[in-house]
Amino acid sequence: MKAEAFTIDHLLFTIDHPPFTKNNHLTASQIIFYIISAFILGTGLLAVTTRKIFRSAIWLLFSLIGIAALFFWMELEFIAAVQITVYVGGIVVLIIFSIFLTQKSGNQMAKPVRSRAIFAGIAVLIGFILSYLLISQYDFQPAGNQPLDASVGNIGTQLMSTGEHGYALPFEAVSILLLAAMIGCIVIAMKADKKQETRNKAQDNTRENVQDTRDKNEENERIINA
Amino acid sequence: MFLSDYISEIFNATKSLLKGMRRTGYYFTHHKQIITQQYPDVKQILPERFRGEVVMTHDEKNEHACTGCTACELACPNGTIKIITKFDILPDGKKKKAIDTFIYHLELCTMCNLCIEACPTDAIKMAQNFEHSVYDRSQLTKTLNKPGSKIKEGIE
Amino acid sequence: MLSLESITNSIHAWLNNTFNPTLALLLEFVIVGTCAIGLFTVLGLVLVLMERKVSAYMQIRLGPNRVGYGGSMQTLADTLKLAVKEGLTPDGADKFLFNLAPFIVIIISMLILAPIPFAKGFQIWDMNIGVLYVSAVSSVSVIGILMAGWASNNKYSLLGAMRSGAQIVSYELSAGLSILSIIVLTGSLKISDIIASQENGWWIFKGHIPAVIAFVIFIIAVTAETNRAPFDLAEAESELTAGFHTEYSGMKFALFFLAEYVNIFIACSLGAILFLGGWMPLHIGNWSGFNHIMDFIPSSIWFISKVFFLIFVIMWFRWTFPRLRVDQLLNLEWKYLLPISMFNLLLMTLVAIMGWHF
Repeated sequence: MKAEAFTIDHLLFTIDHPPFTKNNHLTASQIIFYIISAFILGTGLLAVTTRKIFRSAIWLLFSLIGIAALFFWMELEFIAAVQITVYVGGIVVLIIFSIFLTQKSGNQMAKPVRSRAIFAGIAVLIGFILSYLLISQYDFQPAGNQPLDASVGNIGTQLMSTGEHGYALPFEAVSILLLAAMIGCIVIAMKADKKQETRNKAQDNTRENVQDTRDKNEENERIINA
Repeated sequence: MFLSDYISEIFNATKSLLKGMRRTGYYFTHHKQIITQQYPDVKQILPERFRGEVVMTHDEKNEHACTGCTACELACPNGTIKIITKFDILPDGKKKKAIDTFIYHLELCTMCNLCIEACPTDAIKMAQNFEHSVYDRSQLTKTLNKPGSKIKEGIE
Repeated sequence: MLSLESITNSIHAWLNNTFNPTLALLLEFVIVGTCAIGLFTVLGLVLVLMERKVSAYMQIRLGPNRVGYGGSMQTLADTLKLAVKEGLTPDGADKFLFNLAPFIVIIISMLILAPIPFAKGFQIWDMNIGVLYVSAVSSVSVIGILMAGWASNNKYSLLGAMRSGAQIVSYELSAGLSILSIIVLTGSLKISDIIASQENGWWIFKGHIPAVIAFVIFIIAVTAETNRAPFDLAEAESELTAGFHTEYSGMKFALFFLAEYVNIFIACSLGAILFLGGWMPLHIGNWSGFNHIMDFIPSSIWFISKVFFLIFVIMWFRWTFPRLRVDQLLNLEWKYLLPISMFNLLLMTLVAIMGWHF
């Protein structure tokens, strides 16, 4: 239907409120936020408690999709799309692949030993308390009303900028890291003499290659631009 | 040279793929030469030797040429044919052997044509009908001589 | 003049005048949802019939011709049959995931429908990152396939799912790179911007040879991504019975089937948007008379005809080429398509920087 009728900001601002106001009554946007958060936490909890490893991967997937939904809620569409491409389309697929390749992936895993479970519970509790204390003590400043310019162009220039708040150095560092990872993979794959095995390895390393080739391409573009 | 091999490989692959697509494209645009047999609407002309079932030929006077000699019954390798004979009383008082019922089990028949070859009077022949499906196998047991039919004059 | 844009605008205005904004928005959601489901059904029926007819003509056959005029009701009858069939769940299957998988696949293809403009101003959500959104969300559909393959508890399904996973993950690269080479020219991921940039000519004509190469690679890659022959290793019927949907029956199978065809439609409409100008009429340079005549054809007809042309090309592939082996498939991607598309992207960047395109 009509394009502008269905943008997220329509939903957010017709039901009037900035996110996180300390009103006593809930706004629609807040309700959506709580639903998404509950979804992320619930699926995350299921991911660590289920005893079937494949299901665990699927719950992790839902949790990551929930995070992407949170990015959409914050109107950071680019980050959300990247979240989906990299985590859901890439990492979870590789996790599922490795599950497929392991034996007995359909079996239920053994129940954890009681003492281990108790210690894990204590560790979780301590971690929770610690992070709660940190969060409660930190004075969060509301982002204010100036909109965050998260357009693709802006992200691109920031990523390539060498000036203040530019990310050129981290970008290059990550690029080199990924290049090293890719070369490492090729070296490991090359050791096997048979051609067949090389192919299999190359396929397993797909995602790293993807990332790296993309980075390399951007780099090449940048060089041409300059 | 690696690069020239690479490029010529791509070039040749593209060329051969396009060739294939041209062929199917030609078929797509020339769909007058359809080879589908539209069976129930348009029946195929079967070859003369096609054997569908055994029938007994009757002429317009409802007369057949079967003398009831049971040569076909003896020739049949799997007992498809069963002939029940009777004796007609001729006007001059003599008895003459004739068929009462010519039972033909289509479900057992292998269309081997031995019965037709065995028949001395050419009373039976192979028909081209092949649509034999019925709901019950008892319907496949057929009586080949028509009711009220009798043997032709002059056939011994 | 009556156009889809004016119809939607008047509906929007009427709803906003009659109800309060929130209710109007919700009603619009309902209308859009109904339209999307309706579109899905129609697409499924039309595309399956088209596929069967095209394949028949390419093989000098007649195709379905019994139900309705020239077999036009055949797919409706098939759908009816599938709808009343029992949806079996195998005994050893992971029941929850087994039943979830077809819905994931169909929901994903519904989500990708959002940024597709069917006509001028007729688009569900013109978001900032339109093209990226499509490629990101479509990468999730592989999860549904993997889930279906694993949960079926069947070795053929598992093999099909693994093949499909390897295939989709690798072909996403060259599809992404060929999309990028058009993005380099447009400088925006927004679909309305991409279409607007093609007002004086489609990118496939304006972008010289690199655009043509990108177009060819894109078509090959999306054919692979939608698991269609000659890349239908995931469901190779002669080797794996039916691959990941071997165990599915009834409506759940129908959902997979529908999702396949909707994915083809979406992939082809993306191709039409990027390379053939979406709903833009064919404009040639300064021939204002010719351009004016072309403007009279409604934009929705332009879009649909372009999309169906691409779908026809993909069907043409399917009924011409034999299926690839797995190693041939991966060789094609990693040794041919990927290097070529990377080189092509560089070339395209050069074209964009030097301003050699029209």
